[in-house]
Formats: sequence, structure tokens, C-alpha cells
Amino acid sequence: MRPDFIWQVASRDLLSTLRDRRTLISTVLIPLLLIPLFTLGLPLLLGRLIGGQAQERQKVGVVGMLPESLRAALTRDERAPDGRVTRTGVELVPVKNPRAAVQSGEVDAALRAPTALPTRAGDGSGTLEIYAKLGNLRAQTGAFAKVQSTVEAYNRELAVQRLGTLGLGPQTLTPVTLAPIDVSPEQERRSGQLAFLIPLLMLNFILTGAMATALDATAGEKERGTLESLLVSPVRRSEVVAGKLLATTVTALTTACFSVLGFLLSGVLARAALAGEPSDLTQAFGGQLTLTPGSALALLGAMVSAALLISAVLIALSIYARSYKEAQTYVTPLSLVIIFPAVMLQFSDFLTLSGGLYTIPLFGSMVALLDTVRGNLTATHVLTAIAANLIGALLMGLWALRSFGREEVIFRN
Amino acid sequence: MLDIQNLSKTYGNHVALRDVTLHAGEGEVFGLLGPNGAGKTTLLRIIATLLRPSSGTATLAGHDVLREPEAVRRVIGVVNGGMGLPARLTGREVLRSFAGLYGLNRAQADARIAELDTALDLGRTLDVRAGEYSTGMKQKVVIARAMIHNPQVLILDEAASGLDIFARRTLLDFVSATRQPGKLTLYSTHVMSEAEEVCDRVAILHQGVLVTVGTIPDILAQTGERNLERAFFALVRAQGKVAHAS
Repeated sequence: MRPDFIWQVASRDLLSTLRDRRTLISTVLIPLLLIPLFTLGLPLLLGRLIGGQAQERQKVGVVGMLPESLRAALTRDERAPDGRVTRTGVELVPVKNPRAAVQSGEVDAALRAPTALPTRAGDGSGTLEIYAKLGNLRAQTGAFAKVQSTVEAYNRELAVQRLGTLGLGPQTLTPVTLAPIDVSPEQERRSGQLAFLIPLLMLNFILTGAMATALDATAGEKERGTLESLLVSPVRRSEVVAGKLLATTVTALTTACFSVLGFLLSGVLARAALAGEPSDLTQAFGGQLTLTPGSALALLGAMVSAALLISAVLIALSIYARSYKEAQTYVTPLSLVIIFPAVMLQFSDFLTLSGGLYTIPLFGSMVALLDTVRGNLTATHVLTAIAANLIGALLMGLWALRSFGREEVIFRN
Repeated sequence: MLDIQNLSKTYGNHVALRDVTLHAGEGEVFGLLGPNGAGKTTLLRIIATLLRPSSGTATLAGHDVLREPEAVRRVIGVVNGGMGLPARLTGREVLRSFAGLYGLNRAQADARIAELDTALDLGRTLDVRAGEYSTGMKQKVVIARAMIHNPQVLILDEAASGLDIFARRTLLDFVSATRQPGKLTLYSTHVMSEAEEVCDRVAILHQGVLVTVGTIPDILAQTGERNLERAFFALVRAQGKVAHAS
């Protein structure tokens, strides 16, 4: 193969891609906007909503009588040592029908005690029914959560009082205290949901970027009648396939680079925006990515090899199509091939990450990306994943080459 | 320059070309005539190395189309009615890109583009993106692309289809001007009047079979008809094909 011929084919496809406004939006703008939105916007929004529930005074309906001390505990605000309210109490309002009151939205939750509740430990037991929309996140994190924690505290207080009369301290209630100590590596602890988001978003953007060029350079060329003119020039079929593969991979990697920029942008914004947020929330939805030179190289290798494989698959499939639209129907299901395994990565803790997983093209690189983000990567695993992708890309490239040489494929119309 | 011996092409059970033998020499504009489905495009695609014949041989400028496809592609320029251009590239960018595929450097490419600009009256078309071209403008640039390396053999397959009267006139004048020593132009059309105007010799194909080959005056004399269209009907009728077709 002659590199200058390959470049001639690739540069033509790249120039065409570069001038397509829709492609530029999907390869440059979308990663830059969507990644900060997913990694930062959603946690912030959710944090504000959940945090807002703690500060909002919900209405809780009451049927009948509650012990006075429990009523006081439910309506009392919790304060930090500096006097700042950290969690407001609820407003108790009398209702007749608790179910109807909650369903109509008159109150956020309702309480009903069928029998009188004890005011001292040892005075028997009682049941406090709580009516709430339990599948509703707002109810769970608001009125229900406040009532639940207040009743637990009330029970404990009664028990402690009773123990006091017997000359026993509160520690009697917890003879054994469990002290969890997190031994996961620092990088894994800090990565949070990023560990799964990065492989998902990165490979998805590689697919999006590759799709624009691959379809235009194959089915699009057939539809426009420009492929035939290329095939009657002195360029070899292998050079045509290699040029198109190069152009597609470059576009895919450009998109991937912009997705990395999106992550960096998220990091910069996160430092400013999440500074005051609860750390567990930040951890759950975002986390922090720390890359060593070695892990950055692994990330790059996994990305490049995945981009090559995805590009080869797209070219091999879309050359069969008569038109750009037909090619879209062939390749659109491919996004499931990325999204489904990437979603499964969330449950990777349940997978035994044997070396065999890294030999699965694409999935191996997703796991390698996950490991990179968590700081668990080994050189053998990343090299296995890269090799699997490259072998896959070679096989798909050969299939594409065979298709470019077949009359029934090139002149299928 | 072009030697075809017993060439056949079948697609499954369909015979697109049956045992075609013909010769075209340099300095000729050689016409391939016949209705749609006659096998003209199949024959030209075999010559252009895009299709493989089922049997027979074809040699162009001393190169066998099956054994030396790359050498054949270096000496041909191909235009067909369905060829297009990348919509987001200008005519000049397309021509430069193809010049690169034929080994021309930037200066050589620009000099050749200037020549083609004059010959085909491309003008400002060259610096406009192809997506904005009219059919005539597009076809001029497609021809310029096929001529960028000054090929020995120019293959035009229904190149005038869809062109308006002005663009068609430019094309026919251009084809007439390609009649030069050492060059061959293969001109395929189903419009007999076009062939009468530009071709030195013609081959008439019908249902994949070569009906006759000769100069236009010879064919008219052979059939006793006054124009090529009537001569075509007389020839195929004589072979009992028109009755079969109707």
C-alpha cells in the first residue's frame, strides 16, 4: 500500500466531514456540552433537589393524638453548632382520611396511631402507620425520611431513659459497634460514577464521530456516484479501504478528544460548583479522575484501538447499503453494542474480572478504561484489550476490502 | 488500442454480454450504441476494470484488463451519467485531489486545471462547492476530473443524459476535440443523433449481442437507411429481435 494514495483518499473524506456543520456539532459541540451536563449538571441538580427537601418544611397529616414529646421532635428544626438550620422539622396538620389527604397532595405524608403510643419504654408497644407515596423520590427524601429518623430517635430516647432507671448506659443498646474501613485504593474511592461514565461516554462518542464519516465515505459515495470515479483511478482497493478507515478513525478520535476535553471542563467547573456540596453526593455522581502518565497512555491506546475497530465495523457494514439512509439503519443498532455492555460495567463489582474478559473486542477496552479510571489497570490487561481490538479491526478491514472488490456490493442499487 | 475478444458477462441467469468481439484504434471516437439494457455500460465497466468478464479477453493500450487493472486505470478517464461530486468540496479541490491520485504535483495539477478550465469553460464553477452546481456545471467538472491526467482513453457512458442544450453542445464539441493521434474516445449513448455527430465508427449492441460495427456511412449503406436510428431498427429487425421485443 502507498501511504500518499491512502492520504489522498483520507484527506478528501476528512475535508468533506470538516465542512459538514451537523457532523461538527455532533463531534465537537455535543461532547463538550453533554459531558459536563451528565457529570456535573445532574449531580448538582439532584443535590440541590435532595438538599432542598431537607430545608423544606413538609406538611404531615395526623389522625388522632401523638405523644407530646414525639410531636415536639417532629416539628423541631435541627441546627449546626453555629446555629444554622441543617434540617427543618415538619408541620403537623390534623386530617381525617390519611390516604385521601396524601393522594390529593394536601399533605406530603400522614400519620395514624391505631392505639395510643407509649410515652415510656416498658409501657408496651404501639404501631404508627405512615401514609406516603413510597415510590416517589420526593416523598422518600422529604417527609417520609424525616418522620422515619425522628421515630427512630424517639424509640432510642425512650429506651435510653428506661435503661437509665436500671442503672445502665446507652451503650447497652449497641454492645458491638461496626466500624467500616474503606480499603479501596484512593483513585478508586475518588472515581465514583466516573469509572462507568467515562467508558460509556467515550466509546459512544467514538461511535458517533466515526458514523458521520464512515457512512458518508461509503454509502454516501455510492449514492452520489463518486465511488465509481475513485475506483477507476489508479488507487488500489486496499488503499481506498485504508484511506476511508484512516479518515473515519481520525474523526472518531477527534470526537473522543473533545469528550476528554468535556471531562476536563467538567473537572474545572466541578471544583467551583461542587465545593459546597456534600462529599458523598459528589462521590456518587461524579467523583474525581486522576491520571498518571501510564494510565493516560493506556487510555489513549484503548481509545485508538477501539476507534479503529468501530471504524472498520462501520465501513464494512455501510458499504453494503445503497444509500446513506439505508446505511443508518444498518449501523444504528451498533450503539446498543456499546451502551449495553457499558451499562453492565456498573455491576462490574459482581464480575470476576478474569483475563478472558479483556480478549473480547470493545468490551475488553471498556473494562480497561474502567480499570484506568479506578487505578486498577495492569499492563497485561490493557495490552490484551488493545490487541483484541486491533485483531478485530484487521478482520473487519479485510471484510471491508473484500466487499469493495465485489461487483454485487459496489453496484448494488 | 482496444481489442475485445469473445467477451461475455452473465449475472446469474441473465446474459448481459454475449461473445462480443471488436476493435477500436487510436485517433478514433468510437461509439457504442444501443437502447437501455443493451450491455453498453457492462462492456464499458469491464474495460474500466470495474467488472470482471465471465469469459473472453479485453486489452486496452496494450494492457489486459484482468491481469493489469492498475495499468489500465492509469490510462483511462471515465465519465458516466450517474457520476457525481462530493457536495462539500469545490471543483478545484476535487480536481486537485484526483490529480494527486495520478501522481501530479500541485503545480502540474494547477496547470492542467487551467487547461481544462479553458477547454470546458469552467470559470467560477471551479471555486464553488459542488453541492451548488447545476447538472451541466457538475457534468463539466466530472469530465474535467476524468481528463485531469490527459488520459489515452476517454470513456463516456451516457455522458449527455440530463444535460440541457447548452451543456450538451459543450460536451459534444469537447468529445469531437478529443479525436487526436494516440488517443481513443469510447462514446456510449442511446441517442443515435449524438453518435452521428461525434463518432467515426460505431458498434451497435442489442440485448447483449454485437449487431454490427463500422463507420456510419458504411452502416447506412449496408441498411439503405437515411439515418442511424432507422439503420439500427433495420439491423435488429433483420436479426428478428424487434419483433421479439415488441
